[in-house]
Amino acid sequence: MKNNPLLREGVEIFFLEGHGFAVYFYLLIILAPVLFLSLYLPSLDTQMWSGSANLFKVCAVTTLLLTVYLALRVANQEFAPWRFKPIKRWMREDGLGVSAVSQGQLAFLSLHVAFSIFLCAPFLIWAGAIARTPFLRVAVTLLLLLFYALSYGIWGLVTLVLWERRAETRQVFIRCFFFCLVVFSALFYLPVNPVAFLLAYLGRQELMPLTVAGWKIPASTVHVTFHLMIGMTGLAAYRWALKKDLTF
Amino acid sequence: MSFSDEKPGRGFAPAPRFILQAGGGCPEFARKKLARRRQLHRTSGVWFLALFICFFPSFCPAEILIEPRIGFHGVFQLGRPFPLEIQLSNSGRPADGTLEIAVWKGGATKGGAPYPLYYRRDVFLSAQSRKIVQLTVDPDFISRPLKITFLSPTETVSREIDLRRYFSPAPVMLLVSEGNTILPVSVGSSLSSRLVALTLAELPADPRALLGVSHLILYDQSLRDLSRSQQLALDAWLTAGGRLVIVGSLNYPLYQEPSISRFLPVRVTGIKRVSFSPGLNQSGNLPPIANVWAQTSTVVSGKVLVEAQGMPVIVETSRGKGRISYLSLDIGRPPLSQWEGLPKFLQNLLTPVGADDLSPRTRWDDAVFSQLILSPSFISAYLPTGSLFVAIVGYLFGIGVFAWLWQSQHFPRRMLVISLLSFIVLSTVGGYLVFGRGGNIPDGVLLSSTVMESSADGYVEAQSNLAVFSTQIREYSLRMERGWMDFIPVSSSSRERPQPAVVLQDGSGSSRFQLPLREWDYRLFRIQFVDRFPLRAEFDQQGGKLVVRLNNLSSKDLIDCWLVVPGQRYALGDISRGVSWVKEFPLASAETPERSPGRRSDAVDFREIPFKDKTREILFHSSFFPRDEASTRWSAGAAIFFGWVKDPDRRVSVEDPRIRNYDYTLFRAIIPLAGPEDE
Repeated sequence: MKNNPLLREGVEIFFLEGHGFAVYFYLLIILAPVLFLSLYLPSLDTQMWSGSANLFKVCAVTTLLLTVYLALRVANQEFAPWRFKPIKRWMREDGLGVSAVSQGQLAFLSLHVAFSIFLCAPFLIWAGAIARTPFLRVAVTLLLLLFYALSYGIWGLVTLVLWERRAETRQVFIRCFFFCLVVFSALFYLPVNPVAFLLAYLGRQELMPLTVAGWKIPASTVHVTFHLMIGMTGLAAYRWALKKDLTF
Repeated sequence: MSFSDEKPGRGFAPAPRFILQAGGGCPEFARKKLARRRQLHRTSGVWFLALFICFFPSFCPAEILIEPRIGFHGVFQLGRPFPLEIQLSNSGRPADGTLEIAVWKGGATKGGAPYPLYYRRDVFLSAQSRKIVQLTVDPDFISRPLKITFLSPTETVSREIDLRRYFSPAPVMLLVSEGNTILPVSVGSSLSSRLVALTLAELPADPRALLGVSHLILYDQSLRDLSRSQQLALDAWLTAGGRLVIVGSLNYPLYQEPSISRFLPVRVTGIKRVSFSPGLNQSGNLPPIANVWAQTSTVVSGKVLVEAQGMPVIVETSRGKGRISYLSLDIGRPPLSQWEGLPKFLQNLLTPVGADDLSPRTRWDDAVFSQLILSPSFISAYLPTGSLFVAIVGYLFGIGVFAWLWQSQHFPRRMLVISLLSFIVLSTVGGYLVFGRGGNIPDGVLLSSTVMESSADGYVEAQSNLAVFSTQIREYSLRMERGWMDFIPVSSSSRERPQPAVVLQDGSGSSRFQLPLREWDYRLFRIQFVDRFPLRAEFDQQGGKLVVRLNNLSSKDLIDCWLVVPGQRYALGDISRGVSWVKEFPLASAETPERSPGRRSDAVDFREIPFKDKTREILFHSSFFPRDEASTRWSAGAAIFFGWVKDPDRRVSVEDPRIRNYDYTLFRAIIPLAGPEDE
C-alpha cells in the first residue's frame, strides 16, 4: 500500500508540497471560534438556560459538517486539481488496474479524514471535558465522525471518476449531494440525518423508530444501515465507474 | 450393686454414670453431688428465664405507633406553615430510623406541576419508649394527604392524614392565659378567625410555625417558662409581621417581669379601679363603666390610643413589621367580663391590619436567571473562558509553527511528523485533564441575591432569590441560617421533566434543603428572612425639600448608594459603618424640572442608574426593580434609598469547596412622599 502511486501522489501534493494545508487551516479556523463562542451562546430556548451543556454538541456538529464537506471536496480533487494526474492516464499509461487505483484513492481519503479528525480532536475533547460529556460518548462521536466522512466522502471519488473532465459538474453534484443528505434529509425522516442522530445521541434522546408494515425498526439501526448503504453503494458505484473508464 | 439398681436421675440420664465414675464407687457422695447438680440446673433455668423476661423486648421486632397532632389543637391556616407534633411510641426493640413527612408543593395554585417535599429527621427510639418530634410543615395544597413514615432498616410504618379536616381559611388567633380566667368565647365569638387557647409550653419553638397566626393574646400569663427557642421564635414572628396583644390583669407583678416587660410599650407600676368610657374607642356612645380594674403604667415607647383618667388604656408600638398592643384593663374580671359590649370592643383591638404593598416583590424566574448567567461578566464564574481562549490560541499557534517549519525544511521531516503528533496528543490529554478534572470549573454555583427591606427598629425583611446550578450530576445540601421564614421553590413552566424532590433535613436547630441536580441543570428558590440590620434611613418631606437622616449602625459598609425621588436621582457614594449624616435634597416639581449637574430631570427611571459590576446591574434592573413595574409604581411619589452591602452575611450556603457561592445584597428603604393634594 505504501508504494501505491496514487497514495504517494496524494501525500506528496497535500502534505509535502503543502497544497492540502488550506483544508486543515479552514477546518481549524472555523472550529476554533465556534468552540470559544459557544460558551457564550444561549440555548435555543431563550427562557431556558442550559449552560455549556451544548458546547460539545455544537463542536461535534460543526466538525461533522466540516469534515464531511471537506472530505467530499478533497476526494473530488478540488484542491490543487492541476497537480493530480488524471485517472485515465494512471490506468492507460502506467497500467494500473482498477484495484490499485481504488485502493490508492481510498487510502488517501482515509488518511485525510483521519488526519482531519486527529487535528480537531483536542478541540472536541476540551469541549467534551468542559461540557461534562462522558468520555465514552466523546469517543463514539469521534468514531461516528470518521464513519460519516468516509461514507459520504466516497461519493466524491464517484463523481471524480464519472465526470473527471467536467469540474463544474462535479462541484455542483458534490454540493447538492452534501446539502440533500446532510442537511435536507432532516426534513423527511430525522433518524437518517447525521446531525439529528448525533444530537440525539449526545442528548440521550430516543429518535422515532421507523414503522414498516407494522414492524418497528429502531432509529439507530435505520441510521447505521442507511449510512452503510450509502458507503457501500458509493463504493460499488466507484468501482463500476473505474471499470467503465477502463473499458472505454 | 449393678447399674440396673440405680434409679436414673429425672431428666438427666447420663449423670449417674458420670457420678459413679467420678465418685470412685461411693453412692452417698454421688447422690449429694447429683442433688447439687440438679439444684444448679434449676437455678440456671430460673436465671435464664428472668433474663429472658428482662430483655424480652430486645428479641421482639420494633412496634412503632405514629400519633400526629396537627396545627394548634387541630387548626391551621390554609396556605401557611403549621406545627406538626408527632408522637412515636415504640413497644418493641430499639429502632434507629428516619421520620419522614411528605407534603405536596406546587400544583395549580402555584402555577406548576405538583411535587413532593420531604421533611426528614433522624430519630432513635429505645425499647419501650415514646418520643415527641416537633416539625413545621408547609404544604401548598391539601387535596393530597400528608404522609408520615418512620423508616428503619427493619421496619417501615406509615400513616396518611387528610388535612382537609383541620384547615381554616383565615389566620388563627392564639390565646395564652395561665389560669384560663378569660373566656375564649368572649374574645372568639366576635371574630372571623379561629381562636385557640394554648398553654405556654404549647407555643411553637419555630417562628415559621407561627406564620399562620395573626394575633397572639397574652392574658395573666408569665413568660418566665418560655424556652430560649420559643422566645426567639416569638421575636422573629413579631418582627415578620405578627401582632402581640397583651391584656392587663389584676396580677400586675407578672407584667413587671423582664420576660414580658421587654415586649410592653409601658412600664407597669400597679393597679387601680377606674371609670372607663368605651365610647372613646368608637364603640358607640355607651355609658362609662365604673370600677374597672386597670393597670397603672407609664409609657416607654409607642403611641397611646386610648386613655382613661389620664392613664394609658391602649398603647401600641411596633417591632419590625409587627405590632404590640397593650390593653391595661382586666377584661377577665367583673365588671368588664360581664360587659355585653366586650366582644365588640375586642373586635376593634384585634382587627387585622392590611399588608403594606409599597415594598414590591422582586422578580425571579427563568428569564432573569438566563440573563444573569449568560452575561459575560458572570460566565467566567463557572466556565474557564480565559484558559480555553489561551489553549485555543496556543494550539493554533503551535500548528502554525509546525506548518512553517515543515515548509521551511529546517528540520528533518520525520522528526517534525513525530513532534506534531506528540504535540496534538499532549494538547488533547493536557486539555482534558485541565478542563475535565481540574481547571476553573466548579461542580456548581450558588447565587444568592437579596433585598433587605428596611422596617422599623433596625429590623429588615430580607427577600433572597437563590439559584443553584450544577455542572455535574450530584446532590446539593443548602444550609439555612437562623431566621428564615419561608422557602419557596420557583416552578419553571418551560421545563419538560418533573422537578426533583426537595428534602428538608431539620434538626438540632439547623435546616438543610437537599436536592439532586443533573449536569447543567438548575433550580430557583425564594427565601424570606427576618434579620437585624440597624441602618436607619429616615425621610422628612419639608415643602420642596427632602431631609434624609442616615445612621449606619450596622457592621457592614454600604457601597454604590443612591437616593431616587421622582424626577431626580442622587449618587451618595459609599456609606461606611458608623457613619451618620443629615442631608437635604431638593424635590423637583413636574413643572420645574431640575437641571443640576449629576442629576436627571426625567421621571423615576431606574434604567439609567449605572453600576460598575455588570451582575449587580442585571440584578438591579431585572430582579430588584423590574422595568415594567418600577416606572409605574413609584413615579407618583416615593423616595427610594438603596445601597449594596459590602461582604454581606451569608444566609444560605453550601459547605463544599467544589461549589462556589456568590452573594449580592441590596439594602433599600422606600418611603411614600406626600403629593400636592396631600399637602
